[in-house]
Amino acid sequence: MRRSGSHVFVSAMLTVLLVLAGCSGGTNPASPGDGQNGGQTGSPGGSAGGGSSGGGAEQVTLSMHSWRVEDAEGYKKIIQAFEAENPGIKIDFKPFKATEYNTILNTALQSDSGPDVLQLRPYAPGISLAEAGHLEPLDQLPGIQNFSKDVLAAATGKDGKVYGVPLSLNSTQIYYNKRLFEQNGLKEPKSWDELIAVAKTLKDKGIVPFAFGAKEGWLLSLSHGVIAPGAYNGNAFVSKILNGEADFTSPEFVKSIQRAQELIPYFPENFVGLDLNDTRTMFFTEKAAMFINGSFELEGLQKMNPDLPLDFFPMPTDDGKAVLTTWVDGSYAVNAKSKHKQEALKFLEFMASKKFGELFANQFKRISAIPGVVTSDPLVNKMAELSASSSTPYLMVVHFAEGNPTTKQTLENSLQGMYLNKLTPEQVSQEVQKSAAIWFPRFKK
Amino acid sequence: MKAGIGRRSLQYLFAYVFVLVALYPIVLMVSSSLKSNAEIFTSPLALPKTFGLDTYRKLWEVVPFADFLLNSIMVSVTSVLLITVTSSMAAFYLARFSHKWTGLLYFYFLIGLMVPVKLGIVPLFLLMKKLGLLNSLWSLILIYTASGIPISVFILTGFFRTLPVELEEAARIDGCSHFQVFWRVLLPLIRPALGTVVIITFIQAWNDFFFPLIFIQDEALKTIPVGMMVLFGEYETDWSLLFAGLTLSALPMIAVFLLASRQFMEGLTAGAGK
Amino acid sequence: MGVPERQQIQPKRKAKPRWLLHLFPLPALILYTLFVIYPILSAFTYSMYEWKGIARGAFVGLQNFLTLFQVEPFNKLFWNAFGHNVIYFLVEMVVQNGIAFVLAFLIYRKIRGAGFLKAAYFMPRLLSVIVVGFLWKLILNPNYGALNTLLGKLGLEEWAKPWLGDPDTALLAIILVNCWFGIGFAVLIFLAGLQSIPEELIEAARLDGAKGLTMLSRIILPLVMPSLTIMTIFTFIQAFEAFELVYAMQGSMGEPFHSTDTLAVYFYRLAFSGSGGAGDVSIGLGSALAVVLFFIVASVSALSLKAMRKREVQH
Repeated sequence: MRRSGSHVFVSAMLTVLLVLAGCSGGTNPASPGDGQNGGQTGSPGGSAGGGSSGGGAEQVTLSMHSWRVEDAEGYKKIIQAFEAENPGIKIDFKPFKATEYNTILNTALQSDSGPDVLQLRPYAPGISLAEAGHLEPLDQLPGIQNFSKDVLAAATGKDGKVYGVPLSLNSTQIYYNKRLFEQNGLKEPKSWDELIAVAKTLKDKGIVPFAFGAKEGWLLSLSHGVIAPGAYNGNAFVSKILNGEADFTSPEFVKSIQRAQELIPYFPENFVGLDLNDTRTMFFTEKAAMFINGSFELEGLQKMNPDLPLDFFPMPTDDGKAVLTTWVDGSYAVNAKSKHKQEALKFLEFMASKKFGELFANQFKRISAIPGVVTSDPLVNKMAELSASSSTPYLMVVHFAEGNPTTKQTLENSLQGMYLNKLTPEQVSQEVQKSAAIWFPRFKK
Repeated sequence: MKAGIGRRSLQYLFAYVFVLVALYPIVLMVSSSLKSNAEIFTSPLALPKTFGLDTYRKLWEVVPFADFLLNSIMVSVTSVLLITVTSSMAAFYLARFSHKWTGLLYFYFLIGLMVPVKLGIVPLFLLMKKLGLLNSLWSLILIYTASGIPISVFILTGFFRTLPVELEEAARIDGCSHFQVFWRVLLPLIRPALGTVVIITFIQAWNDFFFPLIFIQDEALKTIPVGMMVLFGEYETDWSLLFAGLTLSALPMIAVFLLASRQFMEGLTAGAGK
Repeated sequence: MGVPERQQIQPKRKAKPRWLLHLFPLPALILYTLFVIYPILSAFTYSMYEWKGIARGAFVGLQNFLTLFQVEPFNKLFWNAFGHNVIYFLVEMVVQNGIAFVLAFLIYRKIRGAGFLKAAYFMPRLLSVIVVGFLWKLILNPNYGALNTLLGKLGLEEWAKPWLGDPDTALLAIILVNCWFGIGFAVLIFLAGLQSIPEELIEAARLDGAKGLTMLSRIILPLVMPSLTIMTIFTFIQAFEAFELVYAMQGSMGEPFHSTDTLAVYFYRLAFSGSGGAGDVSIGLGSALAVVLFFIVASVSALSLKAMRKREVQH
């Protein structure tokens, strides 16, 4: 008796199935193309592009992958500028969530069906794609000679060839809320002790000093990258460690980890469970006074709260200076197996031009990697100036993003352990050293 | 019932506490989607003060939800259809004919119950490329069909075995061919188990996000879960929009369920109980 | 599910099928072999090669397996993740299946509103895992989430925690979310098992004076053993392949501090890289892990299936 009910249901279901499947032959949106060119494979130019030019070049659509979902709108404008100058080429910009980007890109490249143009992670991780033979060398690309060697290093293979056009410089620093500072009679700190004093005053006034969370590992190495150069006086230590004269158990480095720990009392409640969204929200809603983060956060912060009285300061060092931690962000590369290499190279040539640099810098409020680009945003200009005059490399990204897991990941994971009271600063530095010793040539015995 | 009133009410309390646990988060999801961000942060538990669909309007603007929905229906329905047809044929063969190899074949299908297909994603990608199916809904349909086959063969074979052979024999005497026996006599009899298969595999195909993530690049070809994932990435701080997206993704399935929940659950266990 | 019943219903007369009949399993066989077996087997062969990033290098035999089990940090991470899979299984068995059995029993004993109860328990199962993960991430948010707010309202502020950020609670939180998701299905399976018990058996036992707990432990439990075993195997497979929910809630690093890492998440990280980039990918190690994972799941479930068959025959 009960069965009849389910009979009716199942047969109804099957009927629906049949009807729908019947339709599927006709209206199936699935395209049989091999997906390389994304949606529309360019239709022959003759029919679409006005019949005047008889032997007109075929319209080519380049696919372009990136991990900057946030930038989709901005890229549209930049791409329009390129397409206006190059009517035969269309760019199909496809961003993927940063956490899934590697998966998608790797699978695609492995089966020779990657995009024509792709955003390359900076330094070792991106360069490994070149070593696997997936990328086209760009040494002959017009405009590439304008970049400084340091900047090109982010996309230079071990064979000395350049594989990517650098997009932007990133810096990481301490943003602060000018209003909250002024209301409490505070000034930009000039030393570590002053920084602690500022944080203490804020805490006593009931303001969260740092919008900081320990849930996402990459933010831990990023903020350590800001604090550390203050403890080890910037580049002096960097060159020592690169020469093998110092290592990660050296007192300067241990001190940098201790400082990362010293800030705990000035973090928000439950900070171990907070992610970037939570802390960003805290900062732009003016519940917290300082926010240690990258230059790439600037645009978002200003958009979320246009009235936010925002400024930043570089890290004061123990020898009385101040440094800004910088690195080259992703660059753009051409897939060696691309079917439209010429067009792709043309697009990269555009990306290496000053015109692109200015469009990019103003659109995204970022420091362009192209020398001499000035923007309309004073904070971006300040970052650009400081990164030219007194910068120090983000050690973990620039030099220690190798190994499996990478030394950078090891630091992130150990710092997380420290914030959870599972590791001491000394143990953190030992873990980092252990990881680097496996692959870093100077540390190998 | 002889059980004391105390014990009986304790039983009811237990049963209904878990109703609360099961449903409250879903209610919360729907009610939060009707609130503004400020309201979500200041009073996350209260019911929405006003009934506003603004968030949904915005959601409709930022994602092509209708496309997602259509793709999801397309993929799930076609896969389920292919699964039921191919699996019932295989199960019929496995249950009714014993050769040297039928046992082996059955075991071969069972292996599929234990392997996560995800482990083979890279070769699978290469295969789809060779077949020219990347960025096509057919890549999803084929994978969902293939990975749904083991459980379906398992359920259906078990069910076929419970059917008395006499029925077929009678039909055979009446002059039916093997195929006619299968189609006319047995298939109608295994409908309850087919119901189980349909529901299990449908839920599976409908909710997967891993394969479309890798195989589908066109925005217009995305299914609901993966389409929504992009939304979650892009609007991380807009909780109201996130809750609306979650609600909208869950809605079609919940609607079907509410319309036919009894059939749904009977179907789900009809094959299982046997 | 679909427990094949005792052997007696096997056809007694072995039918001699015409050759056409051998085509019956073919469509399923081809689809399944091409899109399930073939990719898995190819992935297995990957485990025997050295990989530079994503380019295949020389054949190295079992080297990747040795690395996985002998070299730090891979061995540590393996056992760490393995332990979490075991916890996953145990907690699901006790919490999800334990509660589900009680609920199924209550429904079986004719509690009022049985239809509604079943539907309510099953509801979460309809959501996509990605939806479940995001929903609970928002609910468990330490500062704005509904759970901590609720605890505050109840005057239990000190119970409020950064659930997903604290390594002591993160794994448990995820598993409990998984229980929330899966309990309705377990209830239905158990209920189906209970309802398949012949009334006469219960009556006979009652006449013999069996009551309450004795009835449950002596009569009912042995009779629903098949559905218990099936559910156990399902739970085991699901616990050892746990990936999507962890990934949706905590990302591919098993954060915080590897406290939510599972074997499948670790596989994903090895084969597709975590946060860093393509540089730390090791498809060889990832594939080796996949092989190990496959053998763990396959051998345990095959053994328990076999044990179950044996017990059933003895009935």
